[in-house]
Amino acid sequence: MKVFIVPPNSLILYDLVERFGHEPLSVMKAIRERVTDLEIDSPPLNVTPEDVKKGLKYAGVEVPSGIRGRLAIWGPLIDQAEAAIMMEDPPYSFGCVGCHRTNEMVKYLLRKKGIPILEVPYPEDEEGAKRMVSKIKEFLEGLR
Amino acid sequence: MESESETRMIVIAPTSDVTPDRVVRFVHSLGRPLTIKETCYGAMVEGSKEDVRAALKEVRKLDPNGIYSKIRGFPIGDTRRCRAHHGSRPGFTQLEKEWKDLSLVEKGLSAVERGEKATEPKKKGRIPVSKLKDIVDEVKK
Repeated sequence: MKVFIVPPNSLILYDLVERFGHEPLSVMKAIRERVTDLEIDSPPLNVTPEDVKKGLKYAGVEVPSGIRGRLAIWGPLIDQAEAAIMMEDPPYSFGCVGCHRTNEMVKYLLRKKGIPILEVPYPEDEEGAKRMVSKIKEFLEGLR
Repeated sequence: MESESETRMIVIAPTSDVTPDRVVRFVHSLGRPLTIKETCYGAMVEGSKEDVRAALKEVRKLDPNGIYSKIRGFPIGDTRRCRAHHGSRPGFTQLEKEWKDLSLVEKGLSAVERGEKATEPKKKGRIPVSKLKDIVDEVKK
């Protein structure tokens, strides 16, 4: 099954989803399609007016451009998602995953979709990691 | 760049005995048409999806719970990201944090394999009224 991960570029979640036999939907794959396209319309990252229009599908025109820009890439992945794993309060909050409003919007879109969702806290100690891994394993095995 | 190509980051947990050098040599020894780059956290492997995934499957055998992987958007040596070309590497700080925490995830995976059950954290309860009264009395004094 296609599992959307939040944060969408998390190494830990990407690896665990793949390890337990599912396909992670990550932002890296979406970015790759843009940066390795032979026809680069808008260098360096090939963001085109089409992307801007795509973003409008998920957030209104009054929403800041940063949120619409992010949703232009993450939104189509959410559309494909059959399940989702969300990591709560990851200690990194900068770069492409640093926009809290986008993160809230992503959670809202996922919940609205009605797919199975697992919310796990970011592990801070050994026991936390054990809890996280066992919950993720149980969740992913239950999806089959 | 072919559409079926894939770039993978192979990240070694800090507690693992495997070194990036060993991973690189191991991938070379597989004899597959892959581009490999040694990094501080492990290695980057690039090639056709099938070759990359087959190599990753073999690499994981070196330390199943100590080697992690995710795909990378930009190809190896891409001038927009490669430091040799003064590219920016905005995702590295996140990768660094997650790399440090891989030792915890490794322990979690090993515990799950052993069938250990994780203990649930104690829920914070409400203060009983009697204790609250004691606190009020103490403050009043």
